[in-house]
Amino acid sequence: MRFRHHVRHEWRLLRADRLLTATLGLFAVLFLYALLNGSAWVRFQEDTLGALAEARDERDARTRAELRRIASGGQPSSPFRDPRAPNVLGSQRNSRPAALPPGPLATLAIGQSDLLPFYYDVSIYTNDQTFLQNGEVENPLHLLVGRFDLAFVLVYLLPLLVLALSYNVLSGERERGTLPMTLAQPVSARSTLGVKLVFRVIVVLFLALGVSVVGGLATGVRDVGRLALWSTIVTSYAIFWLGLATWVNSRGRSSAWNATVLVGAWLLLVVVFPAAVNVAAGLLHPLPSRVEMITVQREASNEAVNRRSELLARYLEDHPEMSGAVVSEASSSAALAWAATEEVNRRLGEVVERYQGRLEEQRRLIGTYRYASPALLAHDALLETAGTGDGRFSRFEAQVRGFAQELKDFFVPAILAGDRMTEAVVADIPSFRYREAGFQTVVGRIVPALAALLAMTLLVSVPGWRAMRDVRGTS
Amino acid sequence: MTGLTSVPEEPRPTEAPRPADTYLLEARALSYRYGDHVALDSLDLRVAPGEIYCLLGPNGAGKTTTINLFLGFLEPASGSAWVAGRDVATAPLETKQYLAYIPEQVMLYRNLTGLENLEYFAALAGKSSIGRAGLREILQDAGLQPDAVDRRVSGYSKGMRQKVGIAIAMAKEATTLLLDEPTSGLDPKASNEFSELLGRMRERGVAVLMATHDLFRAKQTGTRVGIMRRGRLVAERETAELAHADLERVYLEHMGSDGGTI
Repeated sequence: MRFRHHVRHEWRLLRADRLLTATLGLFAVLFLYALLNGSAWVRFQEDTLGALAEARDERDARTRAELRRIASGGQPSSPFRDPRAPNVLGSQRNSRPAALPPGPLATLAIGQSDLLPFYYDVSIYTNDQTFLQNGEVENPLHLLVGRFDLAFVLVYLLPLLVLALSYNVLSGERERGTLPMTLAQPVSARSTLGVKLVFRVIVVLFLALGVSVVGGLATGVRDVGRLALWSTIVTSYAIFWLGLATWVNSRGRSSAWNATVLVGAWLLLVVVFPAAVNVAAGLLHPLPSRVEMITVQREASNEAVNRRSELLARYLEDHPEMSGAVVSEASSSAALAWAATEEVNRRLGEVVERYQGRLEEQRRLIGTYRYASPALLAHDALLETAGTGDGRFSRFEAQVRGFAQELKDFFVPAILAGDRMTEAVVADIPSFRYREAGFQTVVGRIVPALAALLAMTLLVSVPGWRAMRDVRGTS
Repeated sequence: MTGLTSVPEEPRPTEAPRPADTYLLEARALSYRYGDHVALDSLDLRVAPGEIYCLLGPNGAGKTTTINLFLGFLEPASGSAWVAGRDVATAPLETKQYLAYIPEQVMLYRNLTGLENLEYFAALAGKSSIGRAGLREILQDAGLQPDAVDRRVSGYSKGMRQKVGIAIAMAKEATTLLLDEPTSGLDPKASNEFSELLGRMRERGVAVLMATHDLFRAKQTGTRVGIMRRGRLVAERETAELAHADLERVYLEHMGSDGGTI
């Protein structure tokens, strides 16, 4: 019997089953809603970043105009906001935006982009706390389940669709009494059931990949390589669940038993286990309290203000290259303020280091245990592919830190030297542009997850597939 | 009880000798056990083309087990089952090309029409080249009303489903038919129609092995009967040589204290 005859038969059965048709329809609606949700979020991000760039341009124009006016003999709008002072021009008021553009497949996976900041206002005063106050204090696993996007539907709900279609692929034939009629024909049980399972996964993938690829392309996704990677992950994940259904079916039990076991497996692997890892990460590696961090910052700030002169001397000891730059008493006030800022940053750094260490331990623990849950693996891989996962945000943060240092390198020597800024300087102020990771890097991060998914699929499928060989027309 | 013999005490005296490969169904010392229970004990049985062999016996006598062994649904404990000269154990798929199976309840896909069911099973049997028009004709030849062909099977009676089962056998051009209590639960009219269908298939040279409780139907339809008790074939005879009353008497004699139902 040719494959197309099987497909036609299975299609007829599917079409005639109102419950399954309704389930497929419901999933189609969920897929589309998730896609629209993702698309709306990307539009919001793009609008925000557009407004940010516009605001920066306006601010620069105002600063240039003021510097021009002052150069022509005018007065600053406020003596405390004299743009000629490098500590003013490099301050938060004139901050430079560092923006992370939406990920290449952001319409498919909002991921953590609604929880982690996708832009920072960077100035010479940007320090560790800038990054910590932007949501990282949350346990990383709290960030795993984000908005209702396609990745969420694929990871958390798609298995239910696979299971709904395949939980009774053998038991149903037996219970309906059609198995003896089928196996009285010159066909093997394994090939017949295999075709049924393949047909079901094709239906699921047609829906999931169709919405992913067509929807993605329609909403502006242009990275075909990442789309292919996305499709590979979704396919592997769906096949894992199909493999599990194959194994459960091969036990030869009733449809009710199959359904109970498979829904239990879904609960365990998709809901309970990730939550358990979350709890374990929090218990084993608790993060230092945010209150402690704020207290340290306040204490350091007060102490630094009281010890400005001493701090400046120490700062210059630590940065001998800067010592020649302090040329006049007039600049000492800004220099002292800067030295105090650096001291606060140093003190804060000690707490942050502890915090980062714990966070890293949590991430390591989660990174290890995710290999026990196909849902965690698939979700992680999908977000990484989409460019809305942990990895891209970490790269973004690292680049922003680098950019903050660039700004300091640009302004601090001028602060210490007491230089005055002119209109021409504004054009030279460094600006930020996110450098996207190459496709190879993304593939490299995803390969271990894909390999683990494949291993899990083989682990559950092979015994089931072997057992299917022994299926007979009678129990 | 003229001419009635018990096996294995006597060979089949009225049976003309045939070369072994002319039998479409053959059991050679076929045995099967469910755990410690011997369900079938050294069964020797042959069915030639154009013969309707009726297996009689009470529940648990081994009739259905015999059919399941010919279908390859069970693996024999010893002995072998042969279909069209091929051992079921070594060529399970090949032997099924010659077989059609109609169980007591022909279970079809309820949400599909009779035609769609036939289309599927015919395709499974490798007869996908028969077009829908041809399959429709086969269903009508099997006795299904034209207006029922495109109706969902969920609305079919048992007799209608049996006709689809026969249509599957016809589409498959099966040379051997295995029937397990096919007329059980059918009304007399449907039973008669079924017997007529079997008669037509016999005329085409199809070999039929039918497990049944129905002595009347066995006498009327069968060409030969075999009586089974506790997994053994205890008697075998040509129906042409028996009056109905003879068959009933012999059956009861062989059941002994088992009190098998007729």
